Order: sequence, then C-alpha cells, then structure tokens
Amino acid sequence: MRSTRWRLLRLEWARMFRSGGSTVAACLVIALGAYAAWEGRQRLGAVEASAAAAEEGYRSQLEFLVGRYPPTTEAGELLYYLTFPASQPPSRLSGLASGREAVETANLRIRLLALEGQLYEQETLNPRLAAAGRLDLGFVLLALLPLLIIAITYDLVSGERERGTWRLAQLFVPSSRLVGVKTGARILVVAGLVVSLLAIGALATGLDGDGRPGWAAALVVLHTAFWFALCLAVATGRRSSTANAMVLVGAWVALTFLAPAVLSLMNTILHPAPEALDLTVRQRQGYHEAWDLPREETMEEFFEDYPEWSDWIVPQDRFTWAWYYAMNHRGDQAARETSRAYRDVLARRDAWAGRWSLLVPPLAARIALDRLASSDLEAQLAYQEAVRSYHERLKTHFQPILFAETPHPEVDWSRVPIFEPAAPVEAPAAAGLPAAASLALASLLALWGARGRRALSFSALRRGSRTPSPPAPRFRSASPG
Amino acid sequence: MKNILRIARRQIHSILETRSTILLLVLVAALGIVSGLGARHHAVREAEARLEQQSLVERQWLEQPGRHPHRVIHYGFLLFREEAPLAFFDPGVSPWAGTALYLEGHRQNSASFGDARHATSAASFGRLTPAAVLGLLAPLLIIVAGFASVSGEREQGTLPLLLAQGATPGQIVAGKSLGIGAAAAAAALPVGLVTAAFMAFGGAEAPSWLRVGALVATYGAYLAGWVLVTVWISSRRKSSGAALAHLVALWVVLGVGAPRLAASVAAGLHPEPSRAELTAQVQAAERQVGESHNPDDPFFAALRDEYLTRYQVSSVEELPVNWRGLVSREGEAATSRIHEEHQLELLGVHQRQNRVIGWFGLLAPHLAMRDLSMSAAGTGPEAVEAFRAQAEAHRYDRIQRLNDLHIHQIHLENDRAQRLSREEWERFPEFRLEPPSLRQALADRPQALAGLGLWMLVPLLGLALGRERLSRVSEPASRKEPAA
Repeated sequence: MRSTRWRLLRLEWARMFRSGGSTVAACLVIALGAYAAWEGRQRLGAVEASAAAAEEGYRSQLEFLVGRYPPTTEAGELLYYLTFPASQPPSRLSGLASGREAVETANLRIRLLALEGQLYEQETLNPRLAAAGRLDLGFVLLALLPLLIIAITYDLVSGERERGTWRLAQLFVPSSRLVGVKTGARILVVAGLVVSLLAIGALATGLDGDGRPGWAAALVVLHTAFWFALCLAVATGRRSSTANAMVLVGAWVALTFLAPAVLSLMNTILHPAPEALDLTVRQRQGYHEAWDLPREETMEEFFEDYPEWSDWIVPQDRFTWAWYYAMNHRGDQAARETSRAYRDVLARRDAWAGRWSLLVPPLAARIALDRLASSDLEAQLAYQEAVRSYHERLKTHFQPILFAETPHPEVDWSRVPIFEPAAPVEAPAAAGLPAAASLALASLLALWGARGRRALSFSALRRGSRTPSPPAPRFRSASPG
Repeated sequence: MKNILRIARRQIHSILETRSTILLLVLVAALGIVSGLGARHHAVREAEARLEQQSLVERQWLEQPGRHPHRVIHYGFLLFREEAPLAFFDPGVSPWAGTALYLEGHRQNSASFGDARHATSAASFGRLTPAAVLGLLAPLLIIVAGFASVSGEREQGTLPLLLAQGATPGQIVAGKSLGIGAAAAAAALPVGLVTAAFMAFGGAEAPSWLRVGALVATYGAYLAGWVLVTVWISSRRKSSGAALAHLVALWVVLGVGAPRLAASVAAGLHPEPSRAELTAQVQAAERQVGESHNPDDPFFAALRDEYLTRYQVSSVEELPVNWRGLVSREGEAATSRIHEEHQLELLGVHQRQNRVIGWFGLLAPHLAMRDLSMSAAGTGPEAVEAFRAQAEAHRYDRIQRLNDLHIHQIHLENDRAQRLSREEWERFPEFRLEPPSLRQALADRPQALAGLGLWMLVPLLGLALGRERLSRVSEPASRKEPAA
C-alpha cells in the first residue's frame, strides 16, 4: 500500500519535471532566491558601513574642531558644526524583506540646530533603481513562488483529463487518492524549495533573536499554503487547463499587483499629506524671524519648554550661543503642530493599509513581513521619534554648557549622549498574527470551495469512467480565440 | 488586403465570443480610466500644494525686513519641484525624487519629501498609473486575446481550411495580428482619451502634443511587439495551452523579473556612496580649503594677501570693498565647487547604473519602454537632474548676489549692525525650471529605442521565416480531422 503511494509519488515527480518548464522555473526561483539573499547580505553590510562612516565622520570632525579652535572659543561654536550620528542598526530580517528601506534613511547625522529641517534628509538613492523595485528574498517568496505553484498545479486534473490518462490511472487507484498523491508530490517539492530558500536567507543574513524570524517563516509558509489552496480550488474544478491558467494568473495579478496598487492609490487620496511641504517653510520662518525680534521674546518662548532656565537674562550687547540655539528651538516650535499633523497622516496611512490589507491576504503577508523586519512606514516613524528624543537629550546635555558659555576644552566630549535606536514598535505576535489569520482563513475558504467542487467533479468523473462513452471534456482552449 | 481584413474580423469575432477576454478588456479599460482619474486627482492636489508653498516662500522673501546680506544667505530660499504635466500618466522616477529643496549658503541640501516616502509598503510592488495599466496589464490582455489565435485554428482543423480558401500564411498572421491589435487598441483607447482630455482642457500650461505623440508611439510599438510575439508563439506551439504557458512566462520574466533584476545588478556593479559617506568626504575636502566663517584660515590668509597687493593697501580695513563679504564669496565658491564635484560623482554612479538598465532594455522591452515612457512624460532621471542642477545654479547665483551686496554695500566697520534696504529683495530673479528637451532625452537612450525596435523586429522575422512552417505544421493535424 505504502509502496504504491511511493511509486505514484515518484512517477508524479518524473512527470512534473519531464516537461522542462517546471524544472527551469524551480531552478530559477532557487537561483533568484539565493541571489536575493546574497544581495540582502550585501545591503546589510552597506548599511553597517554607512553607519560606521557616520561614526568615523563624527570622530574626525570632533578632533578637527577641537584642534582648530583656540581654547577660548565657546563650545557653542563647535556645536554649530558638529554632527552627531544617529544610526539605526538594521534588523537582520530587513536584508530579506527590505520594504521601504530604499526610500528611507536610517542613518541621520544631526546637529544641535533646529531639528525639523534635518529629519527628512533623503538617502543617495538612484530614483531610477528605486522605481524598478527591489529584488529581495521576500519578493521571490511572496511574488514569484506563487507563479511556480500556479505553473505546476493549474493542470493537476484537467491535464490528465485532456491527455486522456485520467481514466487509465483510475483503473488502479481511486481518484481522490490520485489527487492527493499529485497534490502531495507538488507540496513536497514546493516545501523543499521554501525550506531551502528560508535556510539560505537565514544563513546569508543571520537571524534576529526575538522570535521575529519565526513569525516571518510562518507567514511565508502560510502564504505558500494559501496559494496551494487557491490553486487546488481552481485546478480541481471542471474547467480546461487553459481556463485554469487564465483564472490563476488573473488571481495572481489581482492579489499581488492590482489590489495593493488600488489600495495604495485610495490611501493617498483619502489621506493627503500637504503638511510635508508646509513644515519646512514654517521651521525656516520660525527660526529666521527670531533674528529680527527682540531677544527676550525668543527666550520667553524657549522658557515655555525649558522653565529651568527662565531666570537667565539674555545679554543685549553681544551674541550668545544660548540665544542662538533658542532661536533654533523657536524654528522647531513653529513647525511643531504641522510636524505632528504630518506624522499623524502617515500613521493613519499606515494603519489604514494594515487594516484593509487583511482583505488581500498576500498583501497582508507582505505588510506583516515588512513590519516584522522593521522596514515599514511605522518603523521609519519610530526611528524619527528616536532621533527626536536623541536631539532632545543632546539639547539638555549641552544647555548648561551653552548658558555658562563654557569654552570648548572644558567640555568632556566622551560624556556626550549617544543615540539609542528605536525598538520595534510591535511585539512579533502583534505584527504577524492578523496577517497569519487572514491567510489561514482565506486558505480554509479556498479549500472548502475546492472540497465542494472536487466531490462534484470526482463523482462526475467516476460516473464517467463507468459509462461506456464519457462526456467529452470542455476544451475552451480549442476555440480559435 | 481583403483576406487580411477577413481574418482580422474572424479573430475579433472569436475574441468577442470569449467571455473572459471581454471581461479582461473591460477591466483594463476601466482600470485605465480609474488610474488616470485617481493619479490626476493626486497630481493636481500635489501641484496646488507646491504652488501654494512656492508663492508663500516668494512672499516671505519679499516681505523680509531690512536685513544684513549674510543673514539672508542663511535664510536662503525654498524651491518646490514642479511636476511635468504628464506626470499623472507616468510618474516615472519622480515619487522617489525629493520635492522640497532648501537653498542656503555654505551647503547644498538634497531635495526631501518624495511621494514614495509617504507611501506604505503596499505600493512596493507597483503603483496604479495609466502607464502601469498599459505597460503591464494590456500585454496580459493581448496574451489572453491571442494565445490561441493560430494554435487554436490548428487544433480545430480550421487552419488548412483557411489556407485552402486562398489566404496565404502571411495574410493569416497579419489578419490575426490586426484583430488582436484592435482588441488592445480598444482597451487602451479610454486611457488615451482621458489623458488627452486632461492635456487639452485640464492644465494651465500649453500641452506638449509632441510628448503625447512620443508616448503614443512608445506604447504603440511596445504593444504591437506584444501582439506580434503572441501570434508568433501561438503559431509555433503545438497546443494553445503551451502557447499560453510560454507567453505568461515571458510576461513574468519581462515585466516582473527583469526590471528588478536589472536594478539589482546595476546597484551591484556600481555601488553608490551613502549620504553619510558622501557627507564625510565633502567635509574632509572642505577642511582642505578652510572655513569661510573663520577669517584666520590659511586659504583665506592667502586671499587676503592677494587683495592687499591688488589694492596697494596694508590692511583689510583699508580695502575699498568689504573684506568679510569677499571671504564669504570666495568661501562659497570653494565649497560649492567641492559639493558639486561630489554631487557629480554621485550622479556619475547613478548614470552608470542607469546605463546598465539601458543595456538590459535591449533584451527586456518592458524596461526599454519604461525608459522611453518616463522620458516622454518628462519624469525620467534627466528631469530630476535638470531640476537639481538648475536649482543649484539658482542657489549659487542668489548666494553670490548677496555676497556681492555684502562686498559693495556694507562697510567692514560695524559690519553686522548694517542692513540692506527692503527694496533689494525685489531685484532677485525668480527660479524658472527649464525641463530637458524631449529630443535630447530620447537621443540619450539609443539602447531603449533599439530594444523596442528589436521587440517588434524579432517576432516579425520569426513570423516571416516560419511562414512555410505554419502550413506544414498544420498538415498532419488536418489529416486527422474529418472534413468540416
């Protein structure tokens, strides 16, 4: 009994890979996956090198400034030039699910000046490459692998029927077992592929230690299962092979490209972000106006946020760095509300996309994967928040030095606060569970549909095999259209 | 000719009979309209926001109180990149290029706030634009409408019948292509009409019909290539099923795989420095020059000696011009040169990357089409670079005008206490973006033009060479079939 099944499995594999097309496709998926994983590793290396360059830049700049300015120079003057690195170390997963990483920077270098003008710096990305999209392992697993699944399952039953081999096979084995074996053979092949690709990915980039890789792997497995369920639902129907192929490719286009693109367009239209441009203007105006205002006015506004300094009286006859940085603070104050509104819009977009993506399981999987990899919009907002709090810590650290007009040799530069990277926003389960549920539910629905129809088609086939002349299969492909 | 039209009619008839094809045709047409309306809505709103901010910045500049020119150098100016009128049709690279650019003295900022930065991961597999509908979905429609065009006739045994009635293989192939092409045109027409309507009645600017024409030619050639390839593959495969499988595989490889692979290879071959690395390089180079805010710097000491000799005076106080203004001007010239050198180096890396993509386009027509489409729409990399370069020139001009005012209208003694009168602000020229010419943009893309040409030529050649085979392949099939 077991040996029959094994023989059938081997026979099925031989038939699957005889055609050549499936072999080529499977090899292509593996090769692209391995390449993507290697590229992800390179990218992580580049991000780390860039962070190291920022760190090195800070050190050499500090050394240069301390060496060049005479010892009487106030620390405030050096701080005007000094840029502090605020590099977010990438999660290992982001090597495999790069998300929006291409358009974002996780490696800001900030000065003590007004912050809003420094937060949104763009990386040196080539927009043409960014427009083409990233070939990361996530793309191979979530976008290309489903096509392979479609390619090897669309004629699961209809192919046998059209070749006329179905009735022959049924002489010895019941058709339900035959479908089971044929499906099993394909599941084993794809499972092998998924496991090897995940292993290659893990080897290439290494793993984060907090359960996120586990959730990511689970999502990939569920996503693969969803496509299998969908393909089975279609392939066990009574349509012709070509009709199955069209339906499945149509489903792939709809779920992978069309639905996400429609949702994305709706998202931009529903949640406009005009504040982006406004806040730059406001900050610039807020800071520069201060030069033409009475100094006390700027200081009063500064003391609203830092009352601990409110007994300081601003000198009128000479320039003071404390006043200068207070003017910069005024720039941030002027942009504060707009900046808040801007972040709110982005957070609303992110939440909206997360919610509606649950209706499109493959999109939900992609968004969840990016979330687990901290390469999504939410992670960028969290990074900006971390930079904000770093800027704040720098300000409070240097305020005593600025108000005391301390010369720079008296500053202990080794005690300058260092950047604390943003922690992942959501717990792994919170990031992965909704998408996992959406995928599981959709898979079950598809299987349920397949079951209903399969029973019908099997009985029809079985009936067909008993009657002397079976009903001719419908060849939709045969119409000259 | 009559035969060709008869075959074309037959093909159209069979397309109209298949419900799934009709459904797809309507879907492509509808998505074309929806994407056009949606993208246009978004583009108009963005353009309004940019215009509003730009005029606000302009007003703020004019309403400045009397200020010291160096104060205004730091105040600077803001530019908001205008989108090309056809950006709604094909946004090209502009979502990934920044929008707001702060021009100030001593630094060259990069434009920030690209559209892509405000998008969620949902957009990472593509955006819904008319260009995407025509470039990705219309080929699928062509495949579905045509995969069985010749193989189906063969499977049904009607091919020899057609041949026997006097249609030559060439006429059959031409008729089939015409019929499928008509379906593709029907699907593309609504997008075209929507775009043309927006161009004619929607914009304040005069529409560039030349650019619209280039777009029509690009998509016409690209989709014609798909029609020819579809008929070709259909004529060469034994079964319609095999033809469909091969065509879909081709679509995946060209439309989905190739762009990403090309981008990845390009980035791998020509890695670009990160912003942090670039900034560190610029800073290191600036230290060689000196710092214009520090007049005791060796670079500026040499400059001082030069001016003292030129005016035959012994101290900077005796110079007839403002020494601090001179320092600022020369410092700006030196640092701008350094920034520009590094910027051009980065641009060189990007251009080398783009050339890799261009070479890929020779084999992957979707890439070639993308390159031509965004250039025709005025949203290609050259448009972004034109804005950057012109904005930098404008920045440099504005800053050096201010430095000249500092040199000539402000006295060195009690320098910082002096102010220019407000009328000065009105004498600054406005920024006018000169978009790169269409002709130049297309001339810079020989690979893309060749790629699109090859895309039509190869299937044409294949069809021409396989003409005889078309009838031969059909013979065994015809023998099996009973006389119809």
